[in-house]
Amino acid sequence: MSAHGGGQGVRTLRHDVLLRERVAGRRDFLRTVGVTAAAMLVAPALAAQDEQPPQGPTGAANVEMDQSAYKPVVRPPKPNAVRQMTDAERDVMEKGMKCACPCQLDVFTCRTTDFTCGISPAMHKDVVRMIEGGYTGDEIIAAFQEVYGDRLLMAPKAEGFNVAGYLVPFATLGTGAVVLYGMLRRWRTNAATAPAPVVRDANVRPLRVEGVEASDDELRRLEMALKDDGR
Amino acid sequence: MILVGELSLWVALLMATWTATVSFAGGATRRAELVASGERGIYATLAFVVLASAGLWTALFTHDFSLRFVASYTSANLPKVYTFTAFWAGQSGSLLFWALILAIFSAACVFANRARNRELMPWVTGTLGVVLLFFVATICFASNPYERLDWVPPDGRGMNPQLQNPGMAIHPPMLYLGWVGTTIPFAFAVGALVTRKLDAQWLGAIRRWSLISWFFLTIGLILGMWWAYVELGWGGYWAWDPVENAPLTSWLTQTAFLHSIMIQEKRGMLRKWNVSLVIGTFLLSILGTFITRSGVIESVHSFAQSAIGTWFATFLGVVFVVSVVLVSTRLKDMEAKAELESMVSREAAFLYNNLVLVGIAFSVLWGTLFPILSEWVRGSKITVGPPFFNTVNVPLGLGLLALTGIGPLIAWRRASVQNLQRQFTVPLLVGTGTVAVLLLLGMRHFTALVAYGLSGFVVGTIGQEFWKGIGARRRMHGENPALAAVRLVTRNRRRYGGYIVHLGVAMIFAAFAGYAFKQEYDITLRTGQVFRARDPFGHEWSFTSQGVSQYERLNRQVTAVGLVMTRDGTRLPGVLKSEKRQHVDSRGMPTFEPSTEVGLLEGHMMDVYLVFAGMTGPDQVELRLSFNPLVWWVWYGGIIMAIGGIIVMWPQAERARQGGYVTQLAPEHAAAGASPARETAGVA
Repeated sequence: MSAHGGGQGVRTLRHDVLLRERVAGRRDFLRTVGVTAAAMLVAPALAAQDEQPPQGPTGAANVEMDQSAYKPVVRPPKPNAVRQMTDAERDVMEKGMKCACPCQLDVFTCRTTDFTCGISPAMHKDVVRMIEGGYTGDEIIAAFQEVYGDRLLMAPKAEGFNVAGYLVPFATLGTGAVVLYGMLRRWRTNAATAPAPVVRDANVRPLRVEGVEASDDELRRLEMALKDDGR
Repeated sequence: MILVGELSLWVALLMATWTATVSFAGGATRRAELVASGERGIYATLAFVVLASAGLWTALFTHDFSLRFVASYTSANLPKVYTFTAFWAGQSGSLLFWALILAIFSAACVFANRARNRELMPWVTGTLGVVLLFFVATICFASNPYERLDWVPPDGRGMNPQLQNPGMAIHPPMLYLGWVGTTIPFAFAVGALVTRKLDAQWLGAIRRWSLISWFFLTIGLILGMWWAYVELGWGGYWAWDPVENAPLTSWLTQTAFLHSIMIQEKRGMLRKWNVSLVIGTFLLSILGTFITRSGVIESVHSFAQSAIGTWFATFLGVVFVVSVVLVSTRLKDMEAKAELESMVSREAAFLYNNLVLVGIAFSVLWGTLFPILSEWVRGSKITVGPPFFNTVNVPLGLGLLALTGIGPLIAWRRASVQNLQRQFTVPLLVGTGTVAVLLLLGMRHFTALVAYGLSGFVVGTIGQEFWKGIGARRRMHGENPALAAVRLVTRNRRRYGGYIVHLGVAMIFAAFAGYAFKQEYDITLRTGQVFRARDPFGHEWSFTSQGVSQYERLNRQVTAVGLVMTRDGTRLPGVLKSEKRQHVDSRGMPTFEPSTEVGLLEGHMMDVYLVFAGMTGPDQVELRLSFNPLVWWVWYGGIIMAIGGIIVMWPQAERARQGGYVTQLAPEHAAAGASPARETAGVA
């Protein structure tokens, strides 16, 4: 249902002209361009930098980066290493790995979006290095989990206490359904023992009309149409 | 004016305290002068909150950077429109904005009920006063927009570039209007519980308020999706972020209430459930605010961690405890002899719908809070992201979609087999026909097929209802189809407006399903290089890089890349352009981190979405390009839902009693809680 996550239907392709290796500091490059240009324009005012008010809370996604959140995941290449996955499969795998920056996005989306994050490109480089080193997807995920912990996964594995995470909503809904069924049964019993509705007004006719094959609802609609002649 | 505003905030605090105190006292002692004083207190609170707000706006427009709030969220070169919207760009200002809306709503509620619901009003006014008191006190003591800096900076920090977007200018007020709107039904629920007047009267008083709240929540959610899509740059419109989930849960329970209220109105049943839904919706709005503002849960959108979390948690706890006590001591007053002729009836369908809506709300809340729970239990943090929410909520959502189509087809009280056959034939044919066509076109994505099939089913249901209604009017009144359609809707706004809302829901589900066919390309291009791809509809595209350009705008330096496009060999007009923006203050100093402005080629069936990810060399750019099918269907669906909501909300003119015949329940049945007037056929 939407979201950027790697739902199974999301198809990710990579074109031949793609650059194989990303330059690690591309965001740094852009930032440097922007900041340098700005600094040249206002060099005399740089001294006033200290007078800036304290950084207020940010209201949206322009999050402040903590580049130290990146932790290298390095494994030696396997002997006679052979790539175990395609680029498309790698991208899907990266969509299941959370970037360590505060953006809350997965590695693929973060590194291709730019929240001025240097972490997702670095994590991507580690992934690429391990793929070239002959590691499988499961091995790569396990290696990253060792370093980053369970937070790495965009969704917890359904094991241990996490099973509750997946089951409780359905269990609650099931319990609700059972309770609702019990209530409905009780109410139906009430209806069966209750006297039938009786007409109390000369102008009021019962819903059932002899000789007419129609449900109560249809008769009500007819009544509505009849009643609604005030054009 | 700024000083007046600052002082007004404190006077508003006193006024809210007075309002709450004398209103409750007036309610308890039945002293009319106290009640009247409390009501005047609401108006006075509104006046002083307005003054406080005017003071802050004055400070923003006069660039009074001695105020921390003004210095933190604006700069001298910020466009006027965003200087105005900066009011709600930060924590303390947005709380004041919240208080302003609440004060306006409260005053409107008191005014509208000056001659109605008089027994409830002291408690309603008192409850509104308490909620106002909480917000104003939080502003005064924990997050004051009038807090001053020790020194006056020459310029402010400026506004977060991602808030400098029309969507973000409108989206928060809409959401606040929706969330704040839940306070009025809550206040009436408290009033009804305290006075034990728990019949359908208080529901009548809050139905329109609930609709208003639901309407604004709907618009707020849709606008939030639009903003995320066009501004954040990750290529989607919903990421199951806690800040998105919070209003969604309120919307879901509000929607459940708007359905279940009909059962109480028609059958006198579900009194406890309806009270619980009203209270639950209000609690969820406070919980959502707590989640957004406390920093307790990581979110990309949230305000920074602050002390007001404690205030909100305490308020939430107090409201919860008071509500539980009130409900538990009034259970007997809410007893009604519930009767249900059949489990296959409209009443039962509404209950199934309520179960699923509340189930989804619970699962969203559960997923949002599960990281905290997991950390408590296991001691390590986990991430609960979109894959989790999609796994849990997609089946529930499809179940809800099915019920959206099923509910209107089932008769009230009892549906016969013949009735079911007649009613379901066309919608089922439309649904299965949709699936068959899509299969023939080569679609093999199971979930998407189910979603499209169910969407078709819902559309079939709605179409059939309109067809029959229009047909009936044409036969009865000889109207032409257009006039019959208009009169059908205007004469029964609630029912047919509701169907229009359902149509919007079906469109949005279809759009969600379309997202499964999104195609993303991570590409690197030099100037003049071409990238070719085929979109999900089979069209061949080419994108030729026009290189990078740099230029300056009012408050930013821009680095842009442009792509020339062809589709099926035909050159498309214009250039698809994505930008990197470095915002600067009035002295040219960079303010925030560079932000991305996406390039969008929008279409009814598919968007082309371009993100300038970065530069990998002097003449080489890295881009993410995606084909996003049916995104506009989300916006169309939202617009249709809003139109349906307006139709439902629009006051129904009181017409003279018509001739014809009506049905009424006998007294012994009416005693079970049904209102005879409501049992009148066709009156909704």
